[in-house]
Amino acid sequence: MATVLLVEDDPAARQGLELALRRLGYEVCLAETGEAALDGICGAAMDVVVLDVMLPGVDGFEVCRRLRRDSDVPVIMLTARGDDFDIVAGLEAGADDYVVKPVRPRVLDARIRAVLRRMVRAGTPPENHGELVIDRGSFTVLLRSREVSLTPTELRLLLVLSASPRQVFSREQLLGLVWEHDYLGDSRLVDACVQRLRAKIETDTSEPRYIQTVRGFGYRFGPV
Amino acid sequence: MVRTRLIVAFIAVALLSALVSAWLANVVLPYYHYRLAWLADATGSQVVRTRPVYPAGPHPAVVIGLAGAAVLLAVIAGAAYAASRRVLRPVRRLAGAAQRMSGGDLSVRIQARGRDELARLVTSFNTMAAALEDKVGELQRMEARARQFAGDVSHELRTPLTAMTAVADMLGEHPGLDGDTAAAARLVRQEIFHLGRLVEDLIEISRFDARTAQLVIDDTDVAAAVSWCLKARGWTDVCADVAAGLTVRLDRRRFDVIVANLVGNALRHGSAPVTVTARAQPQDRGGGYLTLEVRDHGPGLPETAIPQVFDRFYKADTARARSEGSGLGLAIAWENARLHGGHIEAGNRPGGGAVFTVSLPLNGHTSPSTSSPPCPSRCAVPPSGAGKPPRKR
Repeated sequence: MATVLLVEDDPAARQGLELALRRLGYEVCLAETGEAALDGICGAAMDVVVLDVMLPGVDGFEVCRRLRRDSDVPVIMLTARGDDFDIVAGLEAGADDYVVKPVRPRVLDARIRAVLRRMVRAGTPPENHGELVIDRGSFTVLLRSREVSLTPTELRLLLVLSASPRQVFSREQLLGLVWEHDYLGDSRLVDACVQRLRAKIETDTSEPRYIQTVRGFGYRFGPV
Repeated sequence: MVRTRLIVAFIAVALLSALVSAWLANVVLPYYHYRLAWLADATGSQVVRTRPVYPAGPHPAVVIGLAGAAVLLAVIAGAAYAASRRVLRPVRRLAGAAQRMSGGDLSVRIQARGRDELARLVTSFNTMAAALEDKVGELQRMEARARQFAGDVSHELRTPLTAMTAVADMLGEHPGLDGDTAAAARLVRQEIFHLGRLVEDLIEISRFDARTAQLVIDDTDVAAAVSWCLKARGWTDVCADVAAGLTVRLDRRRFDVIVANLVGNALRHGSAPVTVTARAQPQDRGGGYLTLEVRDHGPGLPETAIPQVFDRFYKADTARARSEGSGLGLAIAWENARLHGGHIEAGNRPGGGAVFTVSLPLNGHTSPSTSSPPCPSRCAVPPSGAGKPPRKR
């Protein structure tokens, strides 16, 4: 079963969420502060990070940014306010998804499952799209023969879009396909993830070649 | 105008004085000349007993008198104008200050000059403005503190609620609990979720008060949004009649909240069947409104309740100790409509039952509505009375 690193400073909330996550079948590893989380309290075992935004010392945004520097572990932000500022800042820091406190355990479970969901490996040969090589068998992406490090969410978004080149996907569709969100999913998740993906694979992010915006409709892959 | 009247009065006085001078000159001069002639006679010249003979044309003394009067008149008029301007300057300043004040600028003050009545008036005005500014400032600070407090309390409640919500589902799961303990556990679980909803709504309201609520606008298929809203909440017996293909640019989550809160309110306080209808009402120059109506078939709203129905925690039926909702649902719906630049109106249908009409700006393109999904006959919608022109803001 997956191991969750839960970073939460409030003891009651920490214990409550730990109980709920254990009941759902997860291994839980606890950190009270951002510093403890960054010190690798869980070792290499963590599969997903559930990260409170309001932490004493190093706050949740900073923890997320530093985790992102050398790891592709999925991060779910636990925002206490649900205010737009927190959500936007969390997504800019590189979070894969967010939930608003107080969160029902089954909602948190669904989000964790979604970010951990493994894509089905395909036995197809690597696809060439310009300078980009996408291998659906080994889940590797090469840009000019160099491997690109993508988070699971970014990889899934790229695989979904590139599976049907030139087809336009609405933000809603992508929220369902990549994040497994319901109708009211936050389309800013898609926009933030597209920005991060572009930063990794596009030469010029202002004139993207691979992940193109179709104004008023959504996004498409190519035409390269 | 006080100034004009003052000038006219000055001119009238000047004219009058000039006329009097001229008349005096006319009366006095003949006698003067007669005296001169008489004096000449008395000193041994030729004696003339008849009327004195004057040279032709106006006498030089009269000409000089009139010219002098004209100059005097001009000087007096100029002086009157300057004096009136000077006297009225504080009055002009007061008028300007009062106008700025009524526009909301309470910091306006006027410099008082001299010690006359007008200077005293200016000083009184300044005192009044300062007192008003203090009072309004204090009220605003009190209101901000109260709102900040409500927001802070809600945020503080969220932390214990996070722990409680996380474990609430475990309560009552244990098969070994006896009847009463199991009932108690279920009650606690249910009330935790109720408290959670209440705190969520309070936080939402405090965001509107703090003006931090923001719209996340998307192209939204209104029929899909309404049908998802009803389905997600298990309201299968609510009939939706929305033109297919109607796409409006709005915040999907907030629109969902508006529909859910209005329908939830209709189900709680009205009677079935509850119907939701939505139509686009385009106007000239590309504007127009999306009109959404939620109707029920209950007794309708009491007339006295209609103006207050969107107030926070307002309950039309005072006998009801606590509603199942948070008591903030309609207030939140109203704020969400306002955030979109629209509004909601509450009223009663002529045939009975309450109707809530939401008007939201279209702000985007609308596809022509060709067909409507069939509406079951049991909740057949009467001809839409949605022709009411939306109030412009």
